[in-house]
Amino acid sequence: MTGLLPIFILLTSLVPAAITFFLRQESYRLRNALNLGGAVVKGALIVAMLVAVAGGASFETAIPLAPGLVLLLRIDALALLFVSLSATLWLLTTIYAISYLGEKPEQSRFFGFFSLCVFATTGIALSGSLISFFIFFELLTLSTWPLVAHKQDAASLRAARGYLLYALPCSTILLVAIVWLESATGPILFTDPPDLSGVDPASLRVIFALFIVGVGMKAAIIPLHGWLPAAMVAPAPVSALLHAVAVVKAGAFGVIRVIYDVFGIERVAELGVGTPLAALASFTIIWGSLRALQQTEIKKRLAYSTVSQVSYIILGVALASPFAVIGGLAHLVHQGLMKITLFFCAGIYDERAGVRSIEGLDGLGRRMPWTSTCFSIGALGMIGLPPIAGFVSKIYLGIGGLQAEAPWVLAVLGASTLLNAAYFVPLLYRLWFREIAPDAEADERAPALVGPAVAAALAAVLAGMLAASDISPLGWATLISERDYLE
Amino acid sequence: MTPWIGPFLPLAALIWPLLLGALTAMPPLRPVAVRLLPLAPVPALWLALAGGQGVTAAPDLLLGVTLELDDARRLLLGMTAALWLVAALAAQPMTGRPHTAIFSGFWCLVLAGNLGVFLALDVVTFYVSFAAVSLASWFLIVHERTEKALHAGRVYIVIALAGEVALLVGLIIGADAAQSMAVGEIRAALGAPGSSAVGIALLVLGFGIKAGLVPLHVWLPLAHPAAPVPGSAVLSGAIVKAGLFGLVLFVPEGALGPVLMPLGLVGAFGAALWGLTQANPKAVLAYSTISQMGLMIMLVGAGGAARETVPFFALHHGLAKGALFLLVGVMMAASGRGRRLLCLALAAAVSASVAGLPLTGGALAKAAVKQGLADWSALALSLSSVATSLILIWFLARLWQMQGRDEALWGARFALPAALGVLAVTGPWLLWSAWSGHGPDYLFKADTLIDALWPVAIALPPAAAVLRWRLPQLPPGDLLLILGAWRGRAVRIPAPLSLRADADGALRAARRNSARLEGILIRWRLTGVLIPLLVLLMFALLP
Repeated sequence: MTGLLPIFILLTSLVPAAITFFLRQESYRLRNALNLGGAVVKGALIVAMLVAVAGGASFETAIPLAPGLVLLLRIDALALLFVSLSATLWLLTTIYAISYLGEKPEQSRFFGFFSLCVFATTGIALSGSLISFFIFFELLTLSTWPLVAHKQDAASLRAARGYLLYALPCSTILLVAIVWLESATGPILFTDPPDLSGVDPASLRVIFALFIVGVGMKAAIIPLHGWLPAAMVAPAPVSALLHAVAVVKAGAFGVIRVIYDVFGIERVAELGVGTPLAALASFTIIWGSLRALQQTEIKKRLAYSTVSQVSYIILGVALASPFAVIGGLAHLVHQGLMKITLFFCAGIYDERAGVRSIEGLDGLGRRMPWTSTCFSIGALGMIGLPPIAGFVSKIYLGIGGLQAEAPWVLAVLGASTLLNAAYFVPLLYRLWFREIAPDAEADERAPALVGPAVAAALAAVLAGMLAASDISPLGWATLISERDYLE
Repeated sequence: MTPWIGPFLPLAALIWPLLLGALTAMPPLRPVAVRLLPLAPVPALWLALAGGQGVTAAPDLLLGVTLELDDARRLLLGMTAALWLVAALAAQPMTGRPHTAIFSGFWCLVLAGNLGVFLALDVVTFYVSFAAVSLASWFLIVHERTEKALHAGRVYIVIALAGEVALLVGLIIGADAAQSMAVGEIRAALGAPGSSAVGIALLVLGFGIKAGLVPLHVWLPLAHPAAPVPGSAVLSGAIVKAGLFGLVLFVPEGALGPVLMPLGLVGAFGAALWGLTQANPKAVLAYSTISQMGLMIMLVGAGGAARETVPFFALHHGLAKGALFLLVGVMMAASGRGRRLLCLALAAAVSASVAGLPLTGGALAKAAVKQGLADWSALALSLSSVATSLILIWFLARLWQMQGRDEALWGARFALPAALGVLAVTGPWLLWSAWSGHGPDYLFKADTLIDALWPVAIALPPAAAVLRWRLPQLPPGDLLLILGAWRGRAVRIPAPLSLRADADGALRAARRNSARLEGILIRWRLTGVLIPLLVLLMFALLP
């Protein structure tokens, strides 16, 4: 029975996806019930699993796909960190999306692919072997495309094409890396680290780079980030999916798996590839912020901010010192909560006030207090102001940088904080201190849009306020690192 | 989950103002939000009077909150709570004016942060509190939303954010060096031989900004006068002490003495003299604050017994400066000659105490710290009283120039600074023996009396001169002003030659080119293939 749990968790997203595709546009109720129901059941299963895994249990299932090809699903603490994040945010995004899309066309396609994306993300999290990981990773690539192209106008199609232009070559590279490595070591399971001693270091370095390119594209590491800001033309729930629920998180999660479960920290240190990766992540952090500063569209600014913030995770795991790992893992959740809040709010400004550019934010705080409060919380959290979650990540990454004897990390964090302030504070000033245009129409009478934003903002505050408790993202990240990586 | 361990009162002292702050956001309470403010510091005041009993820990909050009171913390906590209480009472006439709900909410947040700084035993609680007191006080500064206030707010927020970053990085370095989050251990680790000088430097930067350390003080003379009177009182009396206490807590004994002492003295004398060029009495008081804070920073730099008695000095200054700022408000509400004279008399009495006239609270504070000072620095302290006397006499003159309109309840308004003034004088008397180790008779010795008297006496002739022949009157902002004048000149150079225009152009070009580069990257069909190959090449070239 317990062996079937991973499959059940996957089915909670797959079944709604499969049925939704065949529903007519008018079947609002059934479609919404299916998707919300799936998300709620999934949430319940995950809570049960969190309790079990905290107690030391782990679950594993093998499904033979073809001779010699086994889909291995495994639930460990790290997998659960990612699954709980994506499942919680999936529920919020579904509620938001139902209201956001209202009676717009092609909803069955939208929700079908949406659930499929979440299914793929869950699969990525639960994969127990490299090949299972690859299968789900590619499923995610493909099922994201129709979502980016959802509006079917020229800009959306261009963005979607851009996405594939980045994604497909990188997938190929990932496949090459996997084949190359597995041809030398045999199938790689995440449970027991592979014996890499038979491969010469030069090849290993190249393979590592191939892996980073293959998975790092989804994490929008510079220079593989171009697709992400372009994809902001998609509807707000898709942005939430790209930036918080699934895609960039899958990339960051992939980097974690590659470093810790494919190569192993010691090997990464031996090969000397950790520091260049950390340097690349640092460059991404700064460059992303600088580019964010130049954007005049809200969503585009947020997109570059994601480019920058996701690399905090990469930076943490690449530094590989105890605190840095914990900080990076916790930031996986923290960034998700804060960024989804911001995108929800950006969507509300667009829908309820017709505001897309930064100038339009003037005076909206009075008219849309809930939305603007949530937006402010998300923005201040990104800057790293306590008690919102972001500051916890920063403290851990900073100490972790010193532990890894990389004091330059502190300069990166400091610069990033100032840059974040530089591109978020003016927005807050406009929201709360400018006067609204007299003819502006703006309200927030849309509880299903505002509710998820409030919930996400609250979660971001609680994650920081109660960081030291066992059930916080930080507490769980500590458990992961103690259990799996830092014996 | 354990909510907390140990006495609850310290935790309550912090949570209570936050709760009240949240209440002020409730629509039915918004019009009367100011009415709630006097309640906010009550638990903290009670705690300071009752004294602490052991460590309070809330292990699940933040990264594990720990709070404790020792003598120094208790003194500062009490002073802060009392000042915030009186200032909140003085804020009552603001009820019903625009934006007061926002003002009240952030008032409570700043208060909680200010108290937290004095209670925190671990570095994260300290940092969170400091961030609250530092950043939320922006709302006190810009409250009036005049062009002047917004300008002060802009200058303030930029400097405060930079200070936050310096502080965060400094504290991280300290926490790593100590392998601990405990404040005491971090100070010890920073003081250990071979420890990082960068860490200490960043901490001094972060705290110095808040404490008005020259040359990081530039925001202070703009911001303190910009706030409404009760806001100025807490900014100048209590909030600057957060920075001072940070220096006391984290800068290791003996470290940076050669830096802090001269800078402190430059502030002590320079600010007092520059204050003579100010017309606005609140700006004069702001410069006096920089001057007094300079003295306290010098004491921290001197180390030893002088440093230990800094809280005693801060107690007096906080209460007295609060009283003086409130008196500016009271003067604005008075038009009759009798009331104005009463105001002036009280201001003169409090000023005399700050200048250290014999047997006043200020004299006691100075006598207590002097014991720990070397001869030359004790002399510097005495000489600084000359400067203090000068600037405060100037303040009294400026105060007298103010024209007010009669407002209701003048007696009650007047009673508030009077109460603070009484506290500023009696407080040091009550605590004298505990903080100086001497009996009261020490204060009546001829030496002590003369020591306190001569600086004030010396100050009288130059004060008369300044009142007779005025110095040129300048807007507040000393170094910023000088910088601004310099920049103004730079612009007048033909545009292509000017450094500034060059920098702007380069920045614009860099911006344009980086955007173009990315545009190409996104549009370019081959990007997807070529860039991964480039990255690959980069890694392959690694040793």
